[in-house]
Amino acid sequence: MTEAAHEAGDDQLATTGHPVAITPGQAALSGLRHPLVGILLLIGLCSAISGKPLDGALMATVALLLAWDAARARQRYWSEDQTAHPTRTGPRRRPARLVAATAGVAAAAAYATIVGGFSRYSWPVTVGVVALGCLMVAIGWQGPVRSRPVLTGRPLRRVWLWALVLVAGGGWELSSLLQQPHLTTDSYAHPTISALSDPVLASHPGRTVFLGGWLALGWFLAGR
Amino acid sequence: MSSRELTIAGYLAVLAAGVVLQLATLRMPERLPSLGRVFTHVMRTRTGRVGVLVAWAWLGLHFFAK
Repeated sequence: MTEAAHEAGDDQLATTGHPVAITPGQAALSGLRHPLVGILLLIGLCSAISGKPLDGALMATVALLLAWDAARARQRYWSEDQTAHPTRTGPRRRPARLVAATAGVAAAAAYATIVGGFSRYSWPVTVGVVALGCLMVAIGWQGPVRSRPVLTGRPLRRVWLWALVLVAGGGWELSSLLQQPHLTTDSYAHPTISALSDPVLASHPGRTVFLGGWLALGWFLAGR
Repeated sequence: MSSRELTIAGYLAVLAAGVVLQLATLRMPERLPSLGRVFTHVMRTRTGRVGVLVAWAWLGLHFFAK
């Protein structure tokens, strides 16, 4: 069951004791109220006004799709079994997995080499990155690729340690960004990660390695 | 130490903290969650899953796309 469906169920059961239908307007509002939808819309707005309209349009599109999905889940949560996100594939045999992994690595290497051959911010690299990004989000939309054990107990209570590391990294990056002379002008004294990566991404091998790392991260995330 | 060196040291410190934490999870998996398990937890819902993958896609767009 999705978060929205859980929330919807809690709300409805709390007030009436049994599920009650809601209007499409209420459902739409509940979708738009989801925190991630607001965050994505904000990122989209900031990207658009900082000269990246494509980023902004894509973020806004995903935000609206998530809002629509949350609203739809709220409307129908009681009417069907939403055991949600069943895994789509059963366990594969080891040889099949090996072949798939080898083919995947070869495809990733070809992608990184070809796309990395184009200069940054050119149309070919933009099309390559946008297409793969959209494909991965579409795959993620369908649910987990494989089932994994649920985090419970003491490890679950220690998730804040990772949150601390991520917030510290984000905060440090943000402080560097805000110390630039202008949002679009790098600072030598307070470089952002983007500024530090510019020399690496200026060369074909650098872009290929960077794209390879980006693909590896995507593969890691898609398997969660 | 210059401001630039201090800034870079900050990034390296955060990276080192993440590496140390991940290594610690290998020694104490029953007490600490690995980064992979944290992402699995965050991505257990469609919203979390799509949100994380959009963040990943945004990285590619930020560094390469128009």
